[in-house]
Amino acid sequence: MTEGRLSFDCTPGAAQRVADLVSRIAERASLTSQQQYWLRLAADEITTNIASHGYQGSAGTVVVDSAIERDRVWIRIEDSAPAFDPCRYRMQAQSACEPLGTREGGFGLMLALHNLDDFIYEYECGRNRNTLVMRRPAAPDTEGTGYRDG
Amino acid sequence: MSFDAKLNMEDGNAVIRLTGELDSGSAGELNTVITEAAGHQPGRLVLLMKELTYMSSAGLRCLVFAQQKMPDEAEIVLVAPTPDVTKTITMTGFDSSVTMEHDTPAPS
Repeated sequence: MTEGRLSFDCTPGAAQRVADLVSRIAERASLTSQQQYWLRLAADEITTNIASHGYQGSAGTVVVDSAIERDRVWIRIEDSAPAFDPCRYRMQAQSACEPLGTREGGFGLMLALHNLDDFIYEYECGRNRNTLVMRRPAAPDTEGTGYRDG
Repeated sequence: MSFDAKLNMEDGNAVIRLTGELDSGSAGELNTVITEAAGHQPGRLVLLMKELTYMSSAGLRCLVFAQQKMPDEAEIVLVAPTPDVTKTITMTGFDSSVTMEHDTPAPS
């Protein structure tokens, strides 16, 4: 079941629109609060990265599609900035150990990719397409004995 | 949810209470408060995070900013971050550069 399409400019208010979308999807898909948090964070970081580095602060549009499937939810974020595959970006390993004041960036992408169940990047017809996937929790035991453990 | 950062000076330490959500839209507000705190030359910067419900990488950059602004010997202490915020801090390695204090559950 698709949840519709959003299209908006990469402005400071975009993060809240993304957060609202994730909140709606999470509730409908019965995601846990933790899953909602990390899905929102991933979408926030990807969108922010598009605005800051893709469009480099200039005007640019982001298109967001989303869907709830039987066993997963996905959010797809598209832009027309220069091609950028988040999976190819690796924050320098030593950065995490450097003193706070000397560290480089890249934390946003690390946070975005690390806590999703799946992430798919595609570049097609001049558009970056980032698909964020979270598996839905297992359905409750319908045999009348309550939720399964483990 | 809106963001708020309130500064109090306590015994030479700068204590900032954070509430709401810290993201790219609200990070500037926190940096302003951090700058004000730094002006007092505190021995410690204490961030009360119990009511901070969300923190993106913008919040991590505030920590970087804080260390740049604070006196060299100042300690940065994060008090009672939520589990999700804690995970953000530890998975990016920031816990090696700050002191984290967690609420402990009362014995039953």
